[in-house]
Amino acid sequence: MTTLLEEQVQAKVDLPLLQNIHKAVALDEYYVMGHRTCAGCGPALSYRLACKAAGKNSIFLGPTGCMYVANTSYLCVPWAVPWMHTQITDGGAVASGISAAYEARIRKGKYKGTFPNIYVFAGDGGSSDIGLQAASAMMYRDHDAIFVCYDNECYSNTGIQTSAQTPYGAWTTFTPPGPKIPEAKKLWPKDFARGMIALHPGMQYTAAASISYPVDYMNKIRKAANVHGAALVHVHAICPKGWGLRANQVLLCGKLAVECGTFHLFEYENGEYTYQYQPKAFKPVTEYLKIQDRFAHLKPEHHQKIQEFINQGLKRCGIKIPVEAV
Amino acid sequence: MANAPEDVKLKRQAEEDAGALADSRTGTTKFLTGLGAAAHALKMADIDVASSYPIRPYTGLMMMLSMMAARGELDLEFVHGEGEHAQLGIAHGASSAGARALTGSSGVGVMYAMEVYSPISGGRCPLQMVIADRTLDPPGDFGSEHTDALSTRDQGWLLGWAHTPQEVFDNTLMFYRIGEDPRVYLPQMNCQDGYFLSHIPMKVVVPTQEEVDAFLPPLQFPDALDPENPLGHGPQLFPGQGHILEASRVNAMMGAFPVIDEVVNDFNSRFGTSYDPFVEQYKCADAEYVLFISGGHAYTAKFAVDHMREKGMKIGLVRTRWVRPWPTDYLADILTKFKAVGVVETNNSFGAARQCGILTLEVATTLYQAPKKPVLTAFMAGLGGEVIRLDEFYYMGDVLKDAAAKGSTERTAYWIGFHNV
Repeated sequence: MTTLLEEQVQAKVDLPLLQNIHKAVALDEYYVMGHRTCAGCGPALSYRLACKAAGKNSIFLGPTGCMYVANTSYLCVPWAVPWMHTQITDGGAVASGISAAYEARIRKGKYKGTFPNIYVFAGDGGSSDIGLQAASAMMYRDHDAIFVCYDNECYSNTGIQTSAQTPYGAWTTFTPPGPKIPEAKKLWPKDFARGMIALHPGMQYTAAASISYPVDYMNKIRKAANVHGAALVHVHAICPKGWGLRANQVLLCGKLAVECGTFHLFEYENGEYTYQYQPKAFKPVTEYLKIQDRFAHLKPEHHQKIQEFINQGLKRCGIKIPVEAV
Repeated sequence: MANAPEDVKLKRQAEEDAGALADSRTGTTKFLTGLGAAAHALKMADIDVASSYPIRPYTGLMMMLSMMAARGELDLEFVHGEGEHAQLGIAHGASSAGARALTGSSGVGVMYAMEVYSPISGGRCPLQMVIADRTLDPPGDFGSEHTDALSTRDQGWLLGWAHTPQEVFDNTLMFYRIGEDPRVYLPQMNCQDGYFLSHIPMKVVVPTQEEVDAFLPPLQFPDALDPENPLGHGPQLFPGQGHILEASRVNAMMGAFPVIDEVVNDFNSRFGTSYDPFVEQYKCADAEYVLFISGGHAYTAKFAVDHMREKGMKIGLVRTRWVRPWPTDYLADILTKFKAVGVVETNNSFGAARQCGILTLEVATTLYQAPKKPVLTAFMAGLGGEVIRLDEFYYMGDVLKDAAAKGSTERTAYWIGFHNV
C-alpha cells in the first residue's frame, strides 16, 4: 500500500503488456555489457529480460549471488539503471528502505520526480533460505516494490551448493551421491512462491515464470511493477554449470521443466490461480531428468519418487491434468 | 583544546576550577530521559525514515517516534523491521535513496546487525543509530555495559557517548551535521547508557525549530539511487582494487576531525554551550592524577571528584566524547600532563592485553610514543549494569593517588566489587 498523494500515484504510469516477442525485442536494453556470467547463464538472461521489461524508471537491488559477483567482478556494472548491492540476507529489507525513502521524500516535497519501480533480484538462497526473513517482511509490510527470485536451484556463485530450492536427488558439492546417500539429496525443496502466497494473504500479485517463456515472463515483471504494493515473481532460471547441461540446452531444459509439470507457470491475484501452460498431459519427469548430469546417478526407484512428488504437487495445487506414462 | 589559543585555555581553566560548565543556553526547559531527548532532537531534525524493532532498553525511543508520526507531529515513514539486522538493512536502503534515516538498538540487537555496519559505512551512508547500551548475553541482563556498541568500533562508523540527556539531545543534532558533511559522509552511533541515561529524566533545554534548522540543514546526498541519475552502489572488486577503497574510508574517518571541531564550535556559538569538540576535562587544571571515562558514569564521577578535591586530593576527570575517531593527539597532549591515569571500563574484552577493557587498549596506544608516560591502570566498574558508587570512585582515587606517589600500581586492572572489598 502507498500513502502517496493521488497525483503522484497516477504519475507512476502502468507498464503496458507485450503482445509478442517482436514487441519484447524492440524494447531498450538496460542490462548491457560488463558482466562475466557463464555461457548460457539462465539468471543473466532473466536479468536482461527483466530490465527490458522494467525500463528506465527502475532501481535494481542485487543481493550477493551470481547476479552480483559474476556481474560486477571488477568494479563494473552491466546495469544502465540505478543498482545497489545488498547483503544476501537483506534484499527485502533494503528494498523496503528505498521504498520508504521515496514515499517520505515525495510526500514531504524533498523529491520532485516519479516514484520508481524497485526490484530485488535475489537468487533462491537469497529468497527462500538466508534471505527468507527479509523477503517475507517486505511482503508483509506491503512496500511498493517487486521481489524477483531467480531460481537456479542452488547456491551457484559459491560453486554449486545445496539450497532450500535444490530438488530431491540433485548432485551439489554439499550433496554428493555415494553408497551412504545414493540419492545424493534426500530433502524435498520448499515451494517458495506458494509459501509466500499463504504467508501474506494481502499480497496483490504473485507469479511464477520461466526464461523459456520470455514474453510471459516479461509481462509478469510488468504486472508486478504495476501493482501499488509488494509483488513477487519467481522465475525458473536454468544454470548450465550447476545442473550439468551444455549452454545451448538451457532453454530446452526450462521448457521440459514446465512440460513435465515440475515447474508451474502461474499467476495468483484476487485470490485465484491462473495457469499459463495447460497441456493435455504432462510429460514423464524422466524426459527432464535425463538431460541433466546432476541427476545422472539416480536409479529408477528415485525417478519414481520424483514422479510421485510431482503428481502429489499437481494434486495439491488442484491441477487436473494427467501425466503421461513412461 | 590542544590547539586553542592561550586566553581561551585560561578561561576554560577558570571555568573548570569553578566546577561549572559556562552554559548560557536559552530555550524551553523540559524534563526528559535520554531516549526522550533523542526523540525530541530527531523530530526537530525532520528525519524521513525510521526502522524499528523492540529490545530493552532503547525501545521507548521508537515508541515515541511512532506516536509523533501518528499524531502528525513528524512526517516519518516508520518501518517495522523484522529484526535488528533488517533495521540496519532498511536504514541502509533509505539512506542510499537520499533519506535522512534513523535506527537504534541495544545489547545483542546491536550484535545481530553486525554484518551490515561495514556495508553502510563503506557505502558512505550518513544514517544515525541511537544505542542505549545493554550488557551482552548470556544471560539476559538489562543493565548497561558499553561492549555492545564498542564491539562495532572496527566497522567504520563515527562512535561517541553522551553523559547526560542534554548531551544526548545535542549529540543527536551534531552527529547528523558531522556525518552528513560532504567531507565526511559517514554513519554515526549516538550512544547513551541504558537505564542511567535512557530512563532517568534530567533537565534538557530545547532550542527553537528555527535555531535547529539553521544549524542542521536538510541532507544533500548527490549519489543517491535515482532513475534520473543512474549509477551502481557497491560492485564486486578484485583484491588488487581493495586497498584504494580502504584508504578512502580511512580518509573519510580522519577527515572527520576538522569537521567535528568546526561543527561543535558552531553549535557552541549558536546555542550558548561550551562543549569541547573531543575531550571534556573536569578539574584537571592542577590535577596530578585523573580518571579517564566515557558515558553516563562520568556524571557520578564528577561528584566523587568534587568530594575528593574537598579532601585535598589533586584528582581530575577526563571524559572522551568520541571513541571513533579516537582523538589520539588530543588525549596524548592531555594525559601526559598527569602522573597517573585510571581508565574506568564499563565493558569487557575477555583475554585482552593487560587484562583490561577496550578503552585502556586505546589509551595505552595513545601514550606509547610519549617520552614521559603516566602510570596507567584500569578499573573494571559498573559491569552488568550496576551503579558505580561514590565509595568505589573514592577507592579508585586512592589507587591513583598511590600510583602517582609510587610511580606504579600493583595491577594493570582492578575489579571493582572484588579488589576494593
